[in-house]
Amino acid sequence: MADVGGVARAGGLGRLERFPLRRIVLVALSAGVLCAVVYGSYKTLTLPEGQAYSASAWRDFIVLGIAQGAVYALIALGYTLVYGILRMINFAHGEVFMAGAFGSYFFADAWKQSGFMDDQPWLSVALLVLLAMAVSLTVAVLLERIAYRPLRGAPRLVPLITAIGASLFLQNTFRGLFGSQTRGYPKPTGLEGTWSILGIPVQKVQVLVLVVAAVAMVALTLFVARTKTGKSMRAAAEDAEIASLMGINVDRVIVTTFVIGGMLAGIAGVLFALTFGNISYFMGFAPGITAFTAAVLGGIGSISGAAIGGLTIGLLQSVGPALLLTGINVPSPFQLKDVVTFLILILVLLFRPGGILGTGEAEKV
Amino acid sequence: MGAPIRRGLKAGVIGGLVLVYLAMVGMIAKFDELVLIGTQLTLGLVLLALPPLVAALAAARPRVVGGRIERLGPLEGLAAGVAAGAVSGGVIAAWLVVVDAIGFDRVRSVFVAVSPVLVDVLTFGRGIAAGAVILIVGGAAFGALGGVWRSIRFGLRRPVAIGVGVVLLMAMLQRIVPTILDELNIERDWLYSKVTRGLTWLGAAIVFVVATALAALWLDRRERAAAAPTVEGGRPDTRAIARSIGVVAIVAAAIVLPQLAGSIVSEILGTVGVYVLLALGLNIVTGYAGMLHLGFSAFFLIGAYASALLTGANLVTAFGLVAPRFSAELNFYVSLLIVIVIGAIVGALLAAPVLRLRGDYLAIVTLAFAQIAVILATSNWLQPITGGPQGLRDVTDAPLFGISFQNPRNFYYLVLFFCVIAVYVSWRLAWSRTGRAWNAMREDEQVADAMGVNTSRYKLLGFAIGGAIGAVGGALFSVKVGTVQPGSFEILVSITVLAVVILGGLGSVPGVVVGALVLLGLPGLLSQLEEYRLLIYGGALVAIMILRPQGLIPNVRRSRELQEEERTQDAWQEIFAQKEQAAAEQADAATAAATVEESS
Repeated sequence: MADVGGVARAGGLGRLERFPLRRIVLVALSAGVLCAVVYGSYKTLTLPEGQAYSASAWRDFIVLGIAQGAVYALIALGYTLVYGILRMINFAHGEVFMAGAFGSYFFADAWKQSGFMDDQPWLSVALLVLLAMAVSLTVAVLLERIAYRPLRGAPRLVPLITAIGASLFLQNTFRGLFGSQTRGYPKPTGLEGTWSILGIPVQKVQVLVLVVAAVAMVALTLFVARTKTGKSMRAAAEDAEIASLMGINVDRVIVTTFVIGGMLAGIAGVLFALTFGNISYFMGFAPGITAFTAAVLGGIGSISGAAIGGLTIGLLQSVGPALLLTGINVPSPFQLKDVVTFLILILVLLFRPGGILGTGEAEKV
Repeated sequence: MGAPIRRGLKAGVIGGLVLVYLAMVGMIAKFDELVLIGTQLTLGLVLLALPPLVAALAAARPRVVGGRIERLGPLEGLAAGVAAGAVSGGVIAAWLVVVDAIGFDRVRSVFVAVSPVLVDVLTFGRGIAAGAVILIVGGAAFGALGGVWRSIRFGLRRPVAIGVGVVLLMAMLQRIVPTILDELNIERDWLYSKVTRGLTWLGAAIVFVVATALAALWLDRRERAAAAPTVEGGRPDTRAIARSIGVVAIVAAAIVLPQLAGSIVSEILGTVGVYVLLALGLNIVTGYAGMLHLGFSAFFLIGAYASALLTGANLVTAFGLVAPRFSAELNFYVSLLIVIVIGAIVGALLAAPVLRLRGDYLAIVTLAFAQIAVILATSNWLQPITGGPQGLRDVTDAPLFGISFQNPRNFYYLVLFFCVIAVYVSWRLAWSRTGRAWNAMREDEQVADAMGVNTSRYKLLGFAIGGAIGAVGGALFSVKVGTVQPGSFEILVSITVLAVVILGGLGSVPGVVVGALVLLGLPGLLSQLEEYRLLIYGGALVAIMILRPQGLIPNVRRSRELQEEERTQDAWQEIFAQKEQAAAEQADAATAAATVEESS
């Protein structure tokens, strides 16, 4: 104890006179970001005719942003639900999402070849979604059972390290099982082309993505708000210990949470694969981090927050690079879309750690 | 008898599923290429025998029931073990039969690893039916061994286990040991086969006997030393002598090894050395100060690019090689000082805004930071400086007194020198006031703050020192490979470094070195392991966190804390046992009294 006493003397009153490095860095950072955003947008919007993006290009960016935002929102719900109850970042959730896309791929491929997919586009997509949900759910439940449950109550960083390990393990398991090549995810011919919605041409797949995501989110909201299981989930998120004293089986609630998160990730997996047309064992990483950012942005632990965060991030990713970077002559701005995401993540954590709809947790974040 | 068998069945199913997993991921078939002993015993077969053995050990392990430790007798253990092993073998045999029924080619069109080689390994080249029988019987045999293992006297089973371990290690080191023996002009054909590269059976037997005998002797001596009354202050002296002899031996081995073992080994050791540096840096941030840093690859990247740009390099363009937009032609050692300062400043700048973040958020922010660094280095935007995806070429050498360090053997000494410095810095820091402040912060930040530890300052300091060490690692790496490409600094580097630190033991300097040797040295030596490196890292991270969170070589201070906890637990158990005994005696006395009363 002697050494701690010594340090105490070294600290003491010095606190007041401490150089406010953190505050200075924060202010400089926010000023810099603000200037860059205003300057970049101004330059892009005042580009001469011919170099500037057309109105329809902006419209496409926005539609794409909303569609990928919906997928991010579905994944983000998995992070948010688990975080709400376990207070841990399920780093391997991106791999749960990848598992859904991968699991359904082999059926999609077989059905495409047999012609079933083109004959029955809606039925086959519905079945693929169900299959992906089943695969992702299985992976999520196994993950909880094998990697996380033995560490319940361990120091906070321990499950996070485990989750990172599990993420790497799952990625390379899929690589070992199915090979490392990127595969093209088949799309039913009935889903190619566009529909005109309010006079705006929108790709059919994007409409599908939006509808499915909206249905899933409404269903989840109703489930959490109306059912008894949903109520026990909310109770466990409020205070797991008290909830268990009230007769709620917290272990079962946690499994349910992973089941729901897994199912949503499975849906997201199929929608993502249909939108972008490619899958690989590594596909879970970037969407996973992005969706986590969305969850934090919206306010982690909040369901509507995940939806808002997902849409915001999706839009910022698709519009942001073009809007901010084209004007200041940055070549191929869309290479930097993940930089946009990560900068947002850092800025949100710095300035509003509770997120847009943050619950204003008393706990220090 | 029912309960042990039931446990065995349960463990066996899990073991069998693990076997199926190993087979389908392709590990068994791939590892079968590596011959360890003789012409038949491959790493694949070892992998095949391990799950039944471990399942049996787990099924027959002593359990705590109602506060008491319950051990299985030899027969019960045997029953549980055989059940576990046979079921493990049965599950994989059943899988084989099912796959055969479906048709191997159809299965293979989805699961790419289900190859004819795998089938050949699993059936021992004797067809499905015979193979299934061998799997079950073999599983039962290994299960029986696992089941009775704990019933064997400790003085016997520990040396045997060490002996088997040494034999396997020698067999795994088949790229190093024979080369050294050749270099020393020692006849080695009796030990290592020239055809398979593995140990010969005779060599394996000799190694096993020698290792077992030495282990038994050592255990015996240790036991006696522990039993003998110690003179105050007498024992630590001999220990200190033994320890310094050990240190000298390790240093001598580190200096001599590349001279004997050839350039491939030097090359691998160079990589290991770079990772030791990185891991020492991360160890300060995460092990000492307790802040999980997932973006350590960023310092690696910054160090490499900064060093390359400061000493002069070229970048690839459509018009051939040109100099980057910013570059200098400094001497490497001058630039290294600048790189250290850059690493420290970037580390502190990264830490400054995120000081208030709680552990897991801090991890994600550092990860995001590393990703930003990689994306920027790859982007077309910064291409005139960083070279984009192709990176920088022709990184200038770091000559010293006319010695080039781009030769792997010389580079090894360069990196060894910096590793020794970093080890010294870590070691001094650990026991300094700063180290104690980190320790207090790691245990409980709020309490440390309340006790007057300036947590912000020490966090910044941790990040800065860690960043500086990581940047040195990057600078050395750029000298080693001569090219700097963004692909070398992906997030996987951060996770690899984390795995090294975690495997070795958070906060433990020797652990870091051992962790790097195991996680980077072995896969470097054995190409068969290389393919499953990341899978093994991932599994190891999960397994260590669950089974042995303190790592292979735990930090002294931490393990002391853990031991103290155990001691209190033991004390409690003793108290309980005494109470129970007293209660039992009372009950005995009561019944005795009752019988006396009755008889009278």
